[in-house]
Amino acid sequence: MLRAKYQNVIDDLLSRYPVKQSALLPLLNLAQKEEGYVSQAAMKEIAGILDLTPPQVFETVTFYTMLSLKPIGKFHVQVCRSLMCALVGADNLLGWLQKHLGIGVGQTTQDKMFTLSAVECLGSCGTGPMFQINDDYYERLTEEKVGRILEDLRQTGDCAMKSGPFLL
Amino acid sequence: MTMPQTQKTLTVTIDGIRTQVPDGTLVIEAARRVGVMVPHFCYHPKLKPDANCRMCLVEIEKIPKLQTSCSTRVADGMVVRSSVPHVEAARKSVLELLLGNHPLDCPVCDQGGRCDLQDFSHEYTPTVSRFKELKRVFPKQYLGSVIETQMNRCVSCMRCVRYCDEVMDAKALAAVGRGTLTQITHWSGNELECDMCGGCIQICPVGAITSRLSMYDYRPWMLKRTETICSFCGDGCQITVQRKDDQLIEVNSALGAGRNNGDLCARGYFGYHAGAHPDRVQHPLIRQPDGSFAAVTWEDALEHVARKLLTLKSAYGSDAIAGLMTARCTNEDMYVFQKFMRLVVGTNQIDSSARYGYVNGVRALRRVQGTHRWTVRYEDVLQADGIMLIGTNVHETNPITALQVKQAVKRNGATLMTLESLLPVRSTVSNITTLSRHHLTVRNGRFDAAIVGLLKAVCELQLVNAEVAERAPEFVQTIQAKVAGVSWQTIHEQSGLLQRDVEAAARAYGQSRRAVTLVGQDVLRAVGGEAMVTNLLDVQILTGHLQREGSGLGCLAEENNEQGAIEMGVTAEYLPGPSPLDETGSTAAFAQAWGQALPTGASATLMHVLRRAKAGDVKALFIVGENPVASLPPDAAVTDALDALDFLVCQELFLTETAKRAHVVLPACSAMEKDGTFTNTEGHVQPVRQAVEPVGESRPDWEMFSALSVLMEHPIEYGDVKDVFKEIRRIIPGYGLLGPASTPQPVNADVVARYVDGGFKEDVDRRYTLNQPTPESQGGMTLKLLQSVYHSGKYSTRAKGLMEVQGEGLLQINASEATRLGVKEGDAVCLSNEHGRATVSVTLNDRVPDAVAWFPEHFDEPVRPLFSLTVDPQTHVPVWKTTHVTITNVNDRPAGEGEIHDVMSF
Repeated sequence: MLRAKYQNVIDDLLSRYPVKQSALLPLLNLAQKEEGYVSQAAMKEIAGILDLTPPQVFETVTFYTMLSLKPIGKFHVQVCRSLMCALVGADNLLGWLQKHLGIGVGQTTQDKMFTLSAVECLGSCGTGPMFQINDDYYERLTEEKVGRILEDLRQTGDCAMKSGPFLL
Repeated sequence: MTMPQTQKTLTVTIDGIRTQVPDGTLVIEAARRVGVMVPHFCYHPKLKPDANCRMCLVEIEKIPKLQTSCSTRVADGMVVRSSVPHVEAARKSVLELLLGNHPLDCPVCDQGGRCDLQDFSHEYTPTVSRFKELKRVFPKQYLGSVIETQMNRCVSCMRCVRYCDEVMDAKALAAVGRGTLTQITHWSGNELECDMCGGCIQICPVGAITSRLSMYDYRPWMLKRTETICSFCGDGCQITVQRKDDQLIEVNSALGAGRNNGDLCARGYFGYHAGAHPDRVQHPLIRQPDGSFAAVTWEDALEHVARKLLTLKSAYGSDAIAGLMTARCTNEDMYVFQKFMRLVVGTNQIDSSARYGYVNGVRALRRVQGTHRWTVRYEDVLQADGIMLIGTNVHETNPITALQVKQAVKRNGATLMTLESLLPVRSTVSNITTLSRHHLTVRNGRFDAAIVGLLKAVCELQLVNAEVAERAPEFVQTIQAKVAGVSWQTIHEQSGLLQRDVEAAARAYGQSRRAVTLVGQDVLRAVGGEAMVTNLLDVQILTGHLQREGSGLGCLAEENNEQGAIEMGVTAEYLPGPSPLDETGSTAAFAQAWGQALPTGASATLMHVLRRAKAGDVKALFIVGENPVASLPPDAAVTDALDALDFLVCQELFLTETAKRAHVVLPACSAMEKDGTFTNTEGHVQPVRQAVEPVGESRPDWEMFSALSVLMEHPIEYGDVKDVFKEIRRIIPGYGLLGPASTPQPVNADVVARYVDGGFKEDVDRRYTLNQPTPESQGGMTLKLLQSVYHSGKYSTRAKGLMEVQGEGLLQINASEATRLGVKEGDAVCLSNEHGRATVSVTLNDRVPDAVAWFPEHFDEPVRPLFSLTVDPQTHVPVWKTTHVTITNVNDRPAGEGEIHDVMSF
């Protein structure tokens, strides 16, 4: 239960907006961070906190690729395949990832390490092809770089090649 | 916000036609006024503009790009073009995009023939598309047991989602996903839980959301339509009953039709099969010596009844015969019934189901303000800036009245004050208290204490209107003195309300300019109901609202024609009108109108009739559609009373618990099978029309009374039902016109003056004295029977659609009580008290207050033995829907206590 654990965080989030329903996305982020996905119980609880109904919370979750309705791996690889990245080889990038991870888009590796998603523009159009893993950007990707990034993450849980994002 | 009195008019030219429209009109509405039909999907007059479908594009002079006419308001001098080539080209591309993903399944789609997409496609689109992509494929889904969605057909106009939010305030539907893969569902695979109003089905412009009650059975052009009035609650919604041959296919309601303006509730939309249940009594039945029923001809049955009634009348006198009638009958049935009982049988012992509480409200209204109807209408609710709901549970009992309140709050910004016995918890079933600015949860059903609290706050906060204080100083001072004698502490102990909350609500109410109060079953069906309504009228007088335009008080009727039952004279205390039975002037007037002296014997209420029957004073009982065996708890001893009778006649649709004890059962028509009128809770007289042929040999009730009167050699004859109405119209005021009355009944200033000048004194001590609270037993819970939005009385439990939605009674408790009892959803619990014991299953509902459990009254059979009866000493209203019980988890019971699955009485 979010409220039991994060009452102060929730109060702070609610205090930022004139209308409390505006805190929906921050609360969903909180839920996603807590459980690794947004569970039914979390949606119900958030609906209760914000005076919304669960369907209203649910439809919001389904709109955003960064929110997931089922458990995902430790690292969420989100490949941009919008126009700019597509022109410089986003399809190749997806292909490399599928080869290295042995999974398709929308799937999670058996060891629960990686989940692969294809997403819309991440605003890094000058440095494609690129992906975002959890909160970090990895840019100007090549097959060799992808292999190293995945290996580093698997080994150490971190990778020095990350470059952003810069607004967080 | 109230409507501005003088509105600016603007001039607009649409396709060359100049017209004047009020300021604020949308271009699409202005176009419709001049007969220019702009194609649209997402626009709907009930909804706020969304402009998502882009179908209604028009060209507006001086605006470079095409505009959506559904979201653009008319400006003065605007020139709009709807039928020019580039506008049509734009609409064509919108359709091309929509059809790019639409299946070609019109031949199996129930919307085929009345589909907006079909119509516009015929009008605009070439048969070739430039799109080559594969079409999306969604599997069909069941949203609950009665709604099916075919999302391949959806045009994503969001009307259903917006209706569910803006009009119903349920917010049960979600637009899930993005882009072309958007689909409408409930949430996360859960079974749909909502008001089941059918609004999403009605408002869908295509065949994406359809009713499962009539799939693949028909084409719209095969249907015969009849406009009639719904027979479930007092709201009196206009419904369109559609049939193919004699098979009921669908009920809906057209936008703009009736008091409901096209909106319906679960009962109205899915409940139309109630009268078509296979258990209907098809032939007259007479009990045989061996106890079984035999089907007989109408002649035999009526002659038998007539002979029996005449024999008993001559042996024991007229007052050995009494009558009870349900308030579900038409006005014509009720009028002829009371005339038959008074003139042919010669007794005043008649009563109806208005006795269960509605009569409390009418008595108070007549006494204080001299009306028997509301002094406000739905239009006044919509325009009110302050609305107070008292014990209504209105979103469940009178869902269409609730829609007016929702609109008033959500669209017009009215302040809502609710004194209700539920918690303001939001879920996907609408809850009126979540819209409330000042919600007060009244505990222990002590609405009397809550109302006295309101009066105390009005007096203490100086909210008493100065004119009233000057005009009726004694009245004001008496009440001030009375409420000063009740402490806030007492009010809090009894009703759980806090002084500051009551004061906030009273202040908001007192400061409203147009204040409407609606009173519900928690007040009307309680002991002291009349006194509580009178006290609420005192609130109105003190704050000056009573005689103010647009302000007033309305009592909500549970059954469709409780108002009519009182006005037709089918209650113990009233002749038609209602004129008081104990007034010589009115009896003389009716004697003259009917050409015969009225019986002089005493009248008898429902409870009196039963008591007299049990004592052997009433020998014969004529029961029309009423089912006292199931409507009263065991300690009312209804079965003893009925078994003591020499002769019991029941006019019924079904062999109910009561009809099973009858000597003769006469099959009656349901409201869909006959003509007549209903008077709704607002006081509008509306036409009921025959939509289907009578089932079996059933006949309208009034015909049977008329036939009996002839056989009893005292004919009350009418050519047809219209002749009955003509007589009603001549005799009873307020029946001149059918359909919504243009103005509500005005407050009678003379009656108000008589009341404040001394009439109030008669019972002011009693009305302002709070009884001691009922002591609660240790660890006990209050068990309350209440109405569900999916049902109406026991009648709706015969409707197969509603039984799909709610087919059994579950005990509702909140999550913290469930934790305390150690039970979860679906577990069985044992309810027990000194009257008996019952085992039921639990469901969680967080709007139930602590220490309270709710059970739907429609399925009350297993728990009925736990209740006991109290009769209001003034109005003889039987009250019994609340009791105290101990709830235990069935699994907690020590072994060896025996089987407890059946109800046992100690």
